[in-house]
Amino acid sequence: MFGYVRPLFRELKVKEYHRFGACYCGLCHALRRRYGVAARFILNYDFVFLAMLLWDAEVDVAYDFKRCAASPCLKKCVCRGSDALDRAAGESVILAWHKLEDDVRDEPFFRALKARLARLFLAGAYRKAKNDLPVFDGDVKAALAALAAVEREGTASLDEAADKFATLLAGSADGVQDGAKRRILDQLLYHVGRTIYIIDAADDLKSDLKAGRYNAVASRYGLTDPVLDAETKAAVKQTIGDSIALISADIELLQETKWSEILRNTVNYGMPEVAEQVLSGTFRHTNERFYRRNLNTIQE
Amino acid sequence: MDNPYSTLGVSPNASNDEIKKAYRDLARKYHPDNYVDNPLADLAQEKMKQINEAYDEITKERAGGSSYSGGGYSAGTGGGTSSSGAYSAIRTAINRGDYAQAEELLRSAPQRDAEWNFLMGSVCYRKGWLDDARGYFQRAVSMDPNNMEYRQAMSYMGSNSPYRQTGGSYPAAADPCDICVGMMCMNMLCGGCRF
Repeated sequence: MFGYVRPLFRELKVKEYHRFGACYCGLCHALRRRYGVAARFILNYDFVFLAMLLWDAEVDVAYDFKRCAASPCLKKCVCRGSDALDRAAGESVILAWHKLEDDVRDEPFFRALKARLARLFLAGAYRKAKNDLPVFDGDVKAALAALAAVEREGTASLDEAADKFATLLAGSADGVQDGAKRRILDQLLYHVGRTIYIIDAADDLKSDLKAGRYNAVASRYGLTDPVLDAETKAAVKQTIGDSIALISADIELLQETKWSEILRNTVNYGMPEVAEQVLSGTFRHTNERFYRRNLNTIQE
Repeated sequence: MDNPYSTLGVSPNASNDEIKKAYRDLARKYHPDNYVDNPLADLAQEKMKQINEAYDEITKERAGGSSYSGGGYSAGTGGGTSSSGAYSAIRTAINRGDYAQAEELLRSAPQRDAEWNFLMGSVCYRKGWLDDARGYFQRAVSMDPNNMEYRQAMSYMGSNSPYRQTGGSYPAAADPCDICVGMMCMNMLCGGCRF
């Protein structure tokens, strides 16, 4: 995925900030342990969110202190491996792989060179992940094929296009046994997927229009100009806001865990902020580094 | 059942005011208004029931067993249905959660009146197709502006949207009827519960 689902760090409590960091490291270590060094490079915020969501309320969060390639001297606090982390790691490998496959297929030969190279490095990891989660792999493949078909048709319905990706993401709750939790996660992840898809479309508007590719936001609102007018911007924000409202209500139905506050922050502050940034074209500039650098200076 | 104090998330030594506050916060969170047309409404209702029971149990216990046990937030069943015959089968399908069948019935319906748009909007909303849902609801309201059911659907939708709370960049239009609906909801809140 794309790293759009992240907490608004300045609104986290310090303990939650560090706990989030430990989970981020935990996922990275899970990727390394299960799928090798190359898999580490696909680590992103979205799957940390997924791991926190999938976390079983009965499983305690334990921590280790570990060195790693990114921090060879200083030991960092790392969340000890769990089913949720392993699952999120496997699913992130599978999604990253299929996204690369798509790029290789859709882009012209030379433009796709980077994707080809990345695919080469990730092949081993994907084989293992596919072995671990065969059902999810099949679902992703089917959903992406359906998405490609809808995009080829050039549908004007934002929902129809978003539906395929949303369904794909809802499938990442496959492993959850508890019936009620499964139902909640199905709907919740559906709307997370819908939000990601729409935000991504808004983010890619400029490059898609330039390349003449299908873009869900462009065809929904009949855009030919990459700069959104105020009315369209408000409409996109409204429909994203509608999804976030549902995610926010659904998240309250989940059993309380150590991650609940971070999840609330992500949904209620992080996602709206990212959408706002993408729509105003400032998203790329306020990345993680921005927050880290400003962590000590932001006093509210 | 669990310990009523842990259900409300308070310590057994908490004061009555603290307990009341915790109860209020939780009841607001799981209030049926936040789950209108949400396929997960039954889970919210279940939570609400647990909270009400826990609060009742604590108040009873603290009052030496003499407290009344009526009231509590009631879990409303959503807007009343004013269906004309042809649509009742569709409403039944929606309530059953069979959106595919409801959609099929709607697509084969001969006319596209206000209620048709409203029901189509409901199906879309429950499926998660929120952009389409909003379009259908809007059409239903513009075809029949006096129907409260359609207006409520519009105003509930995204009523918790983050872009509404922050106001600022995205002000919601002050529709006189929204205020009406707001007053009705407030009435429900005040009349249906104990504070």
